[in-house]
Amino acid sequence: MAVQSDSGGKDEVKTQFVTREGTYRLMTLSEYSRPNRVGYTSGSGSSHVRVSLVSLPPSPGVGNSDSQNSDDRICFNHGKELYVYVYRGVKKAADLTKPVDKKMYKGTNPTCHDFNTVTMTADSVSLVIGFSTGQIQLIDPIKKELSKLYNEERLIDKSRVTCIKWVPGSSNLFIAAHASGQLYVYNEELGCGSGAPQYQPFKQGEGYVISTCRAKSTRNPLYRWLVGDGSCVNEFAFSPCGANLAVVSQDGFLRVFHYDTMELVGRARSYFGGFLCVCWSPDGKYVVVGGEDDLVTVWALAERRVVARGQGHRSWVSVVAFDPYAVGFEAEAGDSHCYRLGSVSQDTQLCLWDLTEDVLRARGRAPLPAAPAPPLAAPNGTVPRAEPQRRKHKEDAGSLTQRLAGFSFGDRRDARRSDGRAGGAGAAGGAAGGGGDALRLMGTAACPRFDECPVLEPLVCKKIAHERLTALLFRAEYLVTACADGCVNTWARPRRDRPERD
Amino acid sequence: MSICQDFGLNFQHRMGANISQLERDIGSEQFPPNEHYFGLVNFGNTCYSNSVLQALYFCRPFREKVLEYKAKNKRTKETLLTCLADLFYSIATQKKKVGSIAPKKFIARLRKEKEEFDNYMQQDAHEFLNFLINHINEIILAERNQSTLKVQKNNSGENVTCNGSVPHNTEPTWVHEIFQGTLTSETRCLNCETVSSKDEHFFDLQVDVGQNTSITHCLKCFSDTETLCNDNKFKCDNCSSYQEAQKRMRVKKLPLILALHLKRFKYMEQFNRHIKVSHRVVFPLELRLFNTSDDAVNPDRLYDLVAVVVHCGSGPNRGHYISIVKSHGFWLLFDDDMVDKIDASAIEDFYGLTSDIQKSSETGYILFYQSRDASC
Repeated sequence: MAVQSDSGGKDEVKTQFVTREGTYRLMTLSEYSRPNRVGYTSGSGSSHVRVSLVSLPPSPGVGNSDSQNSDDRICFNHGKELYVYVYRGVKKAADLTKPVDKKMYKGTNPTCHDFNTVTMTADSVSLVIGFSTGQIQLIDPIKKELSKLYNEERLIDKSRVTCIKWVPGSSNLFIAAHASGQLYVYNEELGCGSGAPQYQPFKQGEGYVISTCRAKSTRNPLYRWLVGDGSCVNEFAFSPCGANLAVVSQDGFLRVFHYDTMELVGRARSYFGGFLCVCWSPDGKYVVVGGEDDLVTVWALAERRVVARGQGHRSWVSVVAFDPYAVGFEAEAGDSHCYRLGSVSQDTQLCLWDLTEDVLRARGRAPLPAAPAPPLAAPNGTVPRAEPQRRKHKEDAGSLTQRLAGFSFGDRRDARRSDGRAGGAGAAGGAAGGGGDALRLMGTAACPRFDECPVLEPLVCKKIAHERLTALLFRAEYLVTACADGCVNTWARPRRDRPERD
Repeated sequence: MSICQDFGLNFQHRMGANISQLERDIGSEQFPPNEHYFGLVNFGNTCYSNSVLQALYFCRPFREKVLEYKAKNKRTKETLLTCLADLFYSIATQKKKVGSIAPKKFIARLRKEKEEFDNYMQQDAHEFLNFLINHINEIILAERNQSTLKVQKNNSGENVTCNGSVPHNTEPTWVHEIFQGTLTSETRCLNCETVSSKDEHFFDLQVDVGQNTSITHCLKCFSDTETLCNDNKFKCDNCSSYQEAQKRMRVKKLPLILALHLKRFKYMEQFNRHIKVSHRVVFPLELRLFNTSDDAVNPDRLYDLVAVVVHCGSGPNRGHYISIVKSHGFWLLFDDDMVDKIDASAIEDFYGLTSDIQKSSETGYILFYQSRDASC
């Protein structure tokens, strides 16, 4: 009788979960979807549902605390449709009868979108939308008078737009990434010319070429970034300061560029498969990526190396995000410093992770000690005795133990590893070899061997949907998740009795 | 869709055309030199064989060894291996680049070799693969023994008659070298804590499938710790008695080609038959294993997906098999005598279904991952 987990169907979908800071609760009335949603629909034909949230500046004269008219707007896409609603957060139930705007497209699907936070006012906002057939649209869902198209004739790129974002602090520049492996910088005020763009090389480095568009008068795209060997760019993200651009691709690479100088700052390679998602830590020191290796991988900008991997998902990781509001948790936990990460996956689970100073500091000593194993609980609830050898490892690794995953059958791995391989290759450090060769990067800072890098276990790992999860956003009072059936959910953060401040 | 095509009487139609759609899709400039894309005619529910043969043909190390065998063994007695070698040779030496071939001799031989395949019923593609690989390996071993026997005879001038004295050659065959990996099963007695381990060889790994999981996760579950208790206690040599124990199987030697069988046919007692499990299991184009043993020889081995046998339909004895293969950087879909170029993004159509309502599906059934350091 094999003990094999047919875990899928039996697991219940959770509507709340507990962490040490308290209980997160699903706000069932704050569920956003298409207005006349007919129950649970099958996964076929479902899309990568993405969510954009924006807080508009309050209208003059109207009190911000007036919850009747929220200043938040939410945009999400599902199949051929795109919706913009007033988002009422956890305070009030969603009103799906009156969307701010709704669009239904023919022959193409919206795939990604972004609000411009620089130019927005109380009653206008620019929303840029990318499509599965490569086109880009700019609309104002509130005023509704704006509508511009870019790459309309698909002369710039025919492939799917995979990610679209406004350049931080810019009123008119946005970047669109495509499945063709290219990113284009657009100025929304410029046209796209009448013919196909002619490019001339502008800057190139290892694994990327940046070109400008050659034309009599300035036209779109301003720049074309070819990243990697033409495999799909899955997502990109600007660092909070706006200086660095992190790009993840199907070729399994994270590449971090200095945006203005267009220099490659560093890179990381997945354990295997494509990287699907990327996010910066609020202080810009770390980049977290998720991918087809089912892992959450943390990369340190200063050292240009992978510093931790999180193992807990049962399938590909579709979104990773730092929780920028989690700074308050650390005091309670007594940790010196702690980052909080969230991730959602095709496995329908949400994972939260703590990235502690212990872990971040420990990997400085190279080669790393092998991950010690938490003892395996015997069926009667007792814990098997640890061998003396394992106890020794625990001491070596110090406070690392608490959140490290591993096996229970002793640890012979480090003996095997201490033959110099780990130190030798790993010491190559930030200048992690040339070429895109995954085999050569193995064991370097760009892709440590699995036992050369701390492995995190999730703080919580909960099945929260019937369908693949495709979006995760952290806000001060709530989390937002979305899944492939077009359903956007809001989770209230734990209520905290904050001491009143003077 | 879910019914096998009858006798492939239409196999000539593609060969007749001057330039096929497939050639146009690939482009004459891009068409790889010395490569042939030939569909296989269906002889009445033989898609289980066609799909596996195509997948194996595009496992390059295997193809090369089969062709090498063909070149070395000029006229020997007909076996399933000679029929396979003739078929591969015939594909590889076609004048045209695309078309279809009738694997008549191979199927006829297969039906002679194994009773279970001697009918017009749909068969399990994995059972066929398992039979084929083992059978070929036995043929090679038998031929090798025969030749060493001859050599011995010549050298010693004596007759080797006794069974026991037949030299048993333990050197691995090329089938071993390509497909064979080693699993190590570690058992920890919960009474005395002694860990004992035992190795066993495999040609493929058979994994249970979970809803909304990845093949990576399925492989990890394969190596989950199992508790041996109640009727299934472990006989501990140290304690000299049956004891509760914990057992786990991990990969010690990673094969050159890793064949993964997704156990999608589950026996349901209430229906008294096998039901297809259409769960969505994603499989990446690149793979490493997490479930390797501590003393694994090559735990970091990086694999590339090279072929997938896909089951279409609702049960093991009905439905259809097709295969998708990677060749020279692009993907092809082989549906019996038909061959089409597909986009890599179309592979996600074969992951499975997230809803349990629909029983019929087109799902990856056998995955072939080839090691990137394969020097063949």
